[in-house]
Amino acid sequence: MQKVIGGILILSATAGAGVVYGNELKRYLRNMVYLRYVFGLIRGEIEYTCAPLPEIFFGVSARVKEPYRRWLKKTAEEMECRDLSGFARVWNRCTDKYLEIPGLKQEHKILIKEPGTFLGSFEKDISDRAMEMYLNKMDLEIEKLRAELASKVKVGRCLGVMAGLFFIVLLI
Amino acid sequence: MEKTGKKISHVTGVLARSVRIIIENILREGGALQEIRMRIGQPLTVMIDGEEQILPLKERAHIVTKEEIKETIEYMSRYSLYAYENELRQGFLTLEGGHRVGVAGKVIVDRGKVKNIQYISSLNIRIAHEVIGCADELIPYITKNKKVCHTLIISPPRCGKTTLLRDLIRQISDGNEYVKGCSVGVVDERSEIGGCYMGIVQNNLGMRTDVLDCCPKAEGMIMLIRSMSPQVVAVDEIGTAEDIHAIEYAMQCGCKLIASVHGMDMEEAARKPVLGEMIRRKMFERYIVLGNDGHPGKVKEIYDERGSVLCRK
Repeated sequence: MQKVIGGILILSATAGAGVVYGNELKRYLRNMVYLRYVFGLIRGEIEYTCAPLPEIFFGVSARVKEPYRRWLKKTAEEMECRDLSGFARVWNRCTDKYLEIPGLKQEHKILIKEPGTFLGSFEKDISDRAMEMYLNKMDLEIEKLRAELASKVKVGRCLGVMAGLFFIVLLI
Repeated sequence: MEKTGKKISHVTGVLARSVRIIIENILREGGALQEIRMRIGQPLTVMIDGEEQILPLKERAHIVTKEEIKETIEYMSRYSLYAYENELRQGFLTLEGGHRVGVAGKVIVDRGKVKNIQYISSLNIRIAHEVIGCADELIPYITKNKKVCHTLIISPPRCGKTTLLRDLIRQISDGNEYVKGCSVGVVDERSEIGGCYMGIVQNNLGMRTDVLDCCPKAEGMIMLIRSMSPQVVAVDEIGTAEDIHAIEYAMQCGCKLIASVHGMDMEEAARKPVLGEMIRRKMFERYIVLGNDGHPGKVKEIYDERGSVLCRK
């Protein structure tokens, strides 16, 4: 009886770990989609209001959830301090310091830092086109994540169950 | 009276760090800062109390670098050049506090029109100053029965016509013993009158003044008349035929008009093609001619619509 209960506990723990892994992947995708939404808002504000970036970041920060709210607000505040030459430096510093997305991959961190190289430094038309290209790039990245998600979730769940069974066999 | 150096921190705050330190040091020594000039590869110069100074010392001048200009432009535009595209196209930027920054560099031309300025190589930062009360002696001449007359200010460049116009607007808007306070609409094409920063007027233009900032004069006058129903419309530096037609339209709508134009005297103004026709038709009731001797804003002559001299100094 004890062996059966132990086996059930091991199986449920490893299967649970598989489910958690799948959920983490889903949450990561949701974060990337939300980030794309944030950049979409920034682009819309630049296009419509043509206001300077600190004002746009303040405006957008009021419409988004944490941690994006703090990230944008702090970026706007640091821009107003005018103590760093080059927008890219301010953007990179604030992204490193204030944007806390759990498990953010290095390649996606680089992707998030990319707008620092073009935001604000061109004319409106060129800036708008650069932002459009960037959003397309984000869409592609999200599509890639989405395509991989289903198979990864399935593999995670299967591996969880398999690992559980393996442990049970090993322990019995 | 003069409020020079108003909120000077708005200027020093946008300078490249290395330049900021030098300017702050010179400001500690006193004197009214009027202008800062930065040119790539050239010494940093300032105009203090009407005298040009090379900083920090004439024999040990600070040579302005490309990076310093770039850094300054970034701070001035709040890292958002696109937001100042329209102003840059006209060759200037307005800072908080109404200070103006003239820019020069490589101009990008598209279909014969200036599209933008790239590779900015020179900056001329002019500190905003208001001379509150400089129009005091003028007000009795341009009012009749507590109402403003159609007035044209004729002045050579750098003689204080914008400063004078600004104070006239303030007095008409607030009202005084000569004029009943009334709503004034200002079309400020180059942000010189109000020194607007993000749409907010930085200079004192009175309590009943509405400003259309960075708006073409002709279009702006019509917009103001239709939307804000001003009793007085004020514009600076009229010149094109469209401006003058819009002035005519404003006059026909029952608005009183105060405008300024470049010119040495009445004769020169009367020789201008469309404006001359308006003068001959006696559309303006008062003409104020400014002189370039003595202090800026010095009134030389005041004429009525028939060309009779009301005052000569």
